[in-house]
Amino acid sequence: MNTQNQNGHMLLFSSNEWYKELSHDEIQKVISQAKAWFDRLNAQGKIKGGQALARKGAIVSGKNGRLVSDGPFAESKEAIGGYLLLDVETLEEAIAIARTNPALAYGTSIEIRPVTDECPLDTWARESALQEQLANA
Amino acid sequence: MNTQNQNGYMLLFRGTELRKSLSPEEMQRVSEKWMAWFRRLTEQGKAVAGNPLEREGKIVSGKDRIVSDGPFAESKEAIGGYFLLDVATMDEALAIARECPGLPYGIRVEVRPVAGECPMASEARAEAQLATA
Repeated sequence: MNTQNQNGHMLLFSSNEWYKELSHDEIQKVISQAKAWFDRLNAQGKIKGGQALARKGAIVSGKNGRLVSDGPFAESKEAIGGYLLLDVETLEEAIAIARTNPALAYGTSIEIRPVTDECPLDTWARESALQEQLANA
Repeated sequence: MNTQNQNGYMLLFRGTELRKSLSPEEMQRVSEKWMAWFRRLTEQGKAVAGNPLEREGKIVSGKDRIVSDGPFAESKEAIGGYFLLDVATMDEALAIARECPGLPYGIRVEVRPVAGECPMASEARAEAQLATA
């Protein structure tokens, strides 16, 4: 995959609360490494945006959103802890950047996703319509 | 939950089930509703950003920085897109989440307060304060 993407790429960070197992000095070290990582990318103009998410929130589901549950955001390894929007055009470059993140060594995992303009529903609708045409041909 | 949050809220849309249950025409209808919803929120100044994500991507993890494929096309948990909301309370963010046109078709909306700083840094500070107390 080496497709160009003008919309950039999103990094989604997840981790459990690994820093609870580190000493104060170790945590400070990782924080300064992570900050240096961010500052370098920012100086290179690779960052469009990014924020940390609080370890709390809710999940809305069901018709008309009648179900509201607290997510397991504090303990879950899968919970998203933050995101970064990268102004890079290829998935390869986004992966290469993600691989240099210092928190990986401490159990963080990073999801790398191309950002798009088109609603995935429209893409699916087009694909399904094409498949129907092929099936009827 | 009615705590104020100056940093806003993020909505993460999860799920891919509607792909199996809807006809192409229905998908387009839901998509149009979704776009209209986002436009209205933007005009009201409540949505400040938002994008769909492609169904492809990778995951990097571990000390060895291993790159693997994610189950982004099929998974119930897969994130399909996000909105950033400029609203001050969880209640308002939840009310907006409840309007999501994908909800009747199995989409789930995760509503998360945006943090002003890295939670790692704030917790480290809290623990340091405890240690010196």
